[in-house]
Amino acid sequence: MTTARSKTKRVTGWAVALTGIVSCAALVGSSSEGHRSQPFPEDIPAARMVADPYSALNGIAVDPQSNLVVASDPNRKSLLFYDRSHNNNTGAQTVPMRQIIGPATYIGMVASVVVDSGRQEIYTANNDIEDTVVVMPYAAKGNAKPARVLSVPHQAWGLALGRSTDELAVTAEIFNAVVFYRREAKGVEAPVRVIRGPRTRLADPHGIYWDDANGEIGVASHGNFRGVLRNTGSGCSPAPGSVATAEESGEFRPPSIAIFSAKGKDDEKPLRVIEGDSTKLDWPMGIAEDSAHNTIAVSNNGDNSILIFDRRRGGNVPPLRVIHGDRTGINRPMGLAVDSQNGEIWISNYGDHTALAFDSGADGNVAPKRVLRSAPAGTPSPGFGNPMALAYDMKRDEILVPN
Amino acid sequence: MAPTRVITGQGSKLGRTIHGLAYDPVHDEIVVPNALADAILVFRGSANGDEPPIRVIQGPCTKLVTPHSVSLDLEHGEILVASLTGKRINVFRWNASGDVAPVRMITGPQTELGHLVGIAVDPKRNLMAVANSEDILVFDRLADGNVAPRARIAGPKTGIIDEPWQMQFFKGKIFLAASNHLHVNLYSGVTLKESSKAVPDDPWLNPTLGFVGVWDITDNGDVPPRAMIRGPFSGLLHPVGLALNPTDGEIYVSDSVRNGILSYLVPDFFEPKDQTLSGSHHKE
Repeated sequence: MTTARSKTKRVTGWAVALTGIVSCAALVGSSSEGHRSQPFPEDIPAARMVADPYSALNGIAVDPQSNLVVASDPNRKSLLFYDRSHNNNTGAQTVPMRQIIGPATYIGMVASVVVDSGRQEIYTANNDIEDTVVVMPYAAKGNAKPARVLSVPHQAWGLALGRSTDELAVTAEIFNAVVFYRREAKGVEAPVRVIRGPRTRLADPHGIYWDDANGEIGVASHGNFRGVLRNTGSGCSPAPGSVATAEESGEFRPPSIAIFSAKGKDDEKPLRVIEGDSTKLDWPMGIAEDSAHNTIAVSNNGDNSILIFDRRRGGNVPPLRVIHGDRTGINRPMGLAVDSQNGEIWISNYGDHTALAFDSGADGNVAPKRVLRSAPAGTPSPGFGNPMALAYDMKRDEILVPN
Repeated sequence: MAPTRVITGQGSKLGRTIHGLAYDPVHDEIVVPNALADAILVFRGSANGDEPPIRVIQGPCTKLVTPHSVSLDLEHGEILVASLTGKRINVFRWNASGDVAPVRMITGPQTELGHLVGIAVDPKRNLMAVANSEDILVFDRLADGNVAPRARIAGPKTGIIDEPWQMQFFKGKIFLAASNHLHVNLYSGVTLKESSKAVPDDPWLNPTLGFVGVWDITDNGDVPPRAMIRGPFSGLLHPVGLALNPTDGEIYVSDSVRNGILSYLVPDFFEPKDQTLSGSHHKE
């Protein structure tokens, strides 16, 4: 949750607000009211606006064969393509090679992004009520139509491609599930299988990786859990006939990484689970396996770190390495990708408009090898991720904004 | 701009899908629902960083199901909670903690409760209202059980099309962020519905844009808003969040497409209901 001062920068006119998000300007134009020469009395210009005019980087993927880094941008609703080897050491905004943006793209509040380097396709998950996975060809730019759009369950966040089974895996936060589709699924198509249930240990799942070499899938969970529990009557009165009535009930579970067989389904137990205080997991977001080092890398949003675990271990295990500290530049990390070919770990920072590349063996408080910037260095970020409620704190004259 | 402080991290017990919150100036507390953990979290008003809540309402006795929004009755010391999929309104004491039963719960077929994402309470008039699937439902504040709403504001004149979102009460007026995005859910949980045939259009591209609407608490039926903020000059596309600052005559609105917050200086919106409003629909 973020809080922002209510007395903020005053915009110089309402037109400034309309230039903040290009795709939104198009929306206004499509309104039936967009061509009025005189405003109605209710068409009241905003006195102030707090918004980020720059792209905010969320998911990230890397393709070393094409020397490409792709990032999802839920703020301006776009996908950005960067030169993988570029290093922005000037503090200026990094000019992307191209950007996919506009109303035809179906790109909305996008989260994870994965690339299929062989087929030159990009997959991104719309996390909010769009409830879709959008597939774009590498060559797409501007207001491009997707190659495919697939309807998926609500709150899709993580994506992974299984080369061995030719499938797409999608995590669904609110349903504590991983949903699998044919890789080429499009439109309205039922999943081929689902991992879901109390034995799975999935609880508000986010990032997911697919380890084809070892036939495994790993899923990072935040721990928010909605289950179906029976009211035993302890502490409150059971409803009449409650023996047969199962009521939903939530609980907070520890954050975790659950590793399943790549062929897992239904209420299947994971092969092993990384969970417990020693793990240092704290809102684990993007996750990837590094086959060259037999490790799993996780962007740890809650404490601004990258955790590296032994891929083969489970339980309350400490990370092998932790990239953390003021020199790292890690700031609310979201996406994470591993480039085994070049020995690099990439993360996207939602806190400050950057994507960072670290050496795969990095440890401790180390500076990144390279930086990409979607805004000039030092540009503040409100950190909004579709703020759908507000409150006013009259004691502090602050606006409270949840994400 | 950057926020002045951020409550975040595992220790906060927040989820990253928070669709409601309220500030309690009497006790200096922030009340937040966590829909993904069926919980209500209460923080210190000055909470910052990875700070745990001072109270948590959660457990089978609470009967919380995907709680999405909250409203505070400061006069009677209650937290009102609207559930998204539970089709219910749970009421707790302001200092409730742990696995406690609600003091009242509105649920059942008579209630007409559906997809709830907004709730507001008017302790002076003993009324509450919810932003329902396509309408505003008004209940008696002390309603309990399977009770019918006393009023329903809905219909083409209201301008509400789909999923009205956050709402607030002030001196007998209902303030609503009417998003008018079109959310079509093709799945029931993770199961594709048999009725699903085609990928819907992007819900945020609905050409009928959203607005901020103001109704009187006594309105009922297909009633147009008594005041509005909408249109291209307003900058609103699909507004969802809404907070009031009557002292400064300001309304704060979050807009999903803009991924930002807009502030409107509309002191006349807060004036007694019998006075003319500058944004009156009836001036068209």
